[in-house]
Amino acid sequence: MAGKSGRTIQAVPQNSAKKMIFSWEGALVVLFIALNIFNMIISPSYNITNILREMPKYLAEIFMLFGMAYILVLGDIDISVGSIVCLSATLACVASNAGLPMVLVIAVCLLVGTACGFINGIILTRFTELPAMIVTLATQIIFRGIAEILLGSGGSVSLKDTSGFNALAMKIGPVPLVFFLVVIAAVIFTVILAKTTFGRKLYAIGSNSTAAYYAGVKVQKVRLIVFTVTGLLAGLCALFLTSALFGANTTTGQGFEMDVIAMAVFGGIATTGGKGNLVGGIISAFIIVLLRIALGQINLNPQLILVIIGALLIIAVLIPGINNAIQAKRKMKSA
Amino acid sequence: MEKKSVWKKITGSREASLVIVLIVLCIIVEILNPTFLSPTNIGQIFRNNALTMIMALGMLCILLTGGIDISITSILAFSGMSVGMLLKYDILHNTFLLFLIAAAIGLVAGGLNGLIISKGKVTPIICTMGFMYIWRGLAYVMSNSAWASGEDVAGFSDFGKDGSIGPYVLLVLVYMIFFVMMKWSKFGRKIYAVGSNAEAARISGINVDRILTSAYAIMGLLAGICGALSVAIYASAQPNMQYGKEMDVIAACVIGGVSMSGGRGTVVGTFFGALIMAIIAKALPLVGIDSIAQNTVKGVIILAVVLLNVITQRVMDKQNLERREM
Repeated sequence: MAGKSGRTIQAVPQNSAKKMIFSWEGALVVLFIALNIFNMIISPSYNITNILREMPKYLAEIFMLFGMAYILVLGDIDISVGSIVCLSATLACVASNAGLPMVLVIAVCLLVGTACGFINGIILTRFTELPAMIVTLATQIIFRGIAEILLGSGGSVSLKDTSGFNALAMKIGPVPLVFFLVVIAAVIFTVILAKTTFGRKLYAIGSNSTAAYYAGVKVQKVRLIVFTVTGLLAGLCALFLTSALFGANTTTGQGFEMDVIAMAVFGGIATTGGKGNLVGGIISAFIIVLLRIALGQINLNPQLILVIIGALLIIAVLIPGINNAIQAKRKMKSA
Repeated sequence: MEKKSVWKKITGSREASLVIVLIVLCIIVEILNPTFLSPTNIGQIFRNNALTMIMALGMLCILLTGGIDISITSILAFSGMSVGMLLKYDILHNTFLLFLIAAAIGLVAGGLNGLIISKGKVTPIICTMGFMYIWRGLAYVMSNSAWASGEDVAGFSDFGKDGSIGPYVLLVLVYMIFFVMMKWSKFGRKIYAVGSNAEAARISGINVDRILTSAYAIMGLLAGICGALSVAIYASAQPNMQYGKEMDVIAACVIGGVSMSGGRGTVVGTFFGALIMAIIAKALPLVGIDSIAQNTVKGVIILAVVLLNVITQRVMDKQNLERREM
């Protein structure tokens, strides 16, 4: 990991009110509120009941954000998650149609995801010279390719018996189960990243993996764990996606990796590794989900939503660079 | 003595080993299916893969600088849709002008990528991922999700229709220009310099930012031209055209021996990489492998090639080390 020296592990944030408002997360909260006001103006049907009703199909993606955030903090990338979702969802549908009990179907779905993540991890840790980009590019094609073979010429499979998956789509009061699970997972993953030694090891590796190695961090073991867990989360995403769509096809999960990376990057996680935290990522995930819901309600061309997300992504990554340039100029003037 | 040096040349050069793989591949397929090496079939292979082959050259420039561009097929779709719409609404029918417009669109899109990556210090994959959304989305929005059909593009598609030499001429022309440029021009050598060691290149007086921007602009230019070419070859323009094919382009480069970390790779290697990919895709149905399994086989081949690269590199490093110790 040449060229990464000189970057320090992020300092513990100070708790002054001014810092909070002017931090990236503070800006995201302001944006979040502004977005909700904007949504209410453009869409008359934008209210809590409708949001909760339309939310489940978008929420499943957020599970993968947690894994992707960890991978990006490590300085790696995983673009195979969308294909893992496709393969897991396909096998879950096949297992369910074969008459397996729901518990086993869930186990199959999660195990397939975990296995795919483990394969990514084992290749990357055995062949450390390879960039994660090219390995996950190949596995992206392979995982979706296997799903294509399983799906056969029709290219899709639908559930014969939806009762098991209906149970997964249940609601506690007006709130869908998946929302609670996302919140629980968000808390767990945020705390692990920010408050545990494991989390600090991630930052250490992302900042300078050689230094981390000499400091006694088992770099490859940590990477293997993170990639495997990301696979598991993709399996979880597949499970809840299937419970919302009642089937799978060859395009299931297509582009999810881009969505999830956009959420993480927009949340302030640097793709060069060692920077950012999950709080920003989670806020930006909900910003993107709510934007999708509102724009969907006013029947905007769904492709235009992609244009907006793409533009947001580029603006978000440009801001630190512009900021640095301005500060460098100021320094030059004062010197 | 001379024999040894020839042997060394063959095993040592990436291009030579690619040629051997190519010949073996052709012989196997030819034995299994004797119609494979007919002139029409070979012509078809080049025509159907002209887009990948041309864009692989731009990707070579970018991979040489250590970057990556996954927005290329979206740029292709946007420029192709622009051409399709101009034809559909009878605004313009001149083939040359349409190609020029497509190239200009691509150049601007690629230049934008380059500026954001070099001046904005944005990671290439993130920047081009954003534009992948943007250009593809704009292609849908511009056409209102509609197609330009074969009738709409009737006169224009003569350039690329079966039997026309248009695509072949373009292919040969682009490869000749790139072969000369990458090997003998100052600009080509600067790309290699930046990719091998950007810091050293900067100190020796190369404007790294400008080289980076140009590399992405060239990629965009080729993607734009391929947009028009795609409309001509397939006689239609759809907003989802060539979706996901950027992976094929990257794979062709990787098989052709272009290093993902920059600085290593040649035009000839890229050509053979793209050709091997094309022949495998063509051969799979001929030897009885279901077309449904094609993507899996493609993925496995890419993975096998990159792993093989690493293993051979390790063995070579080890041998070099042993020689030095002696």
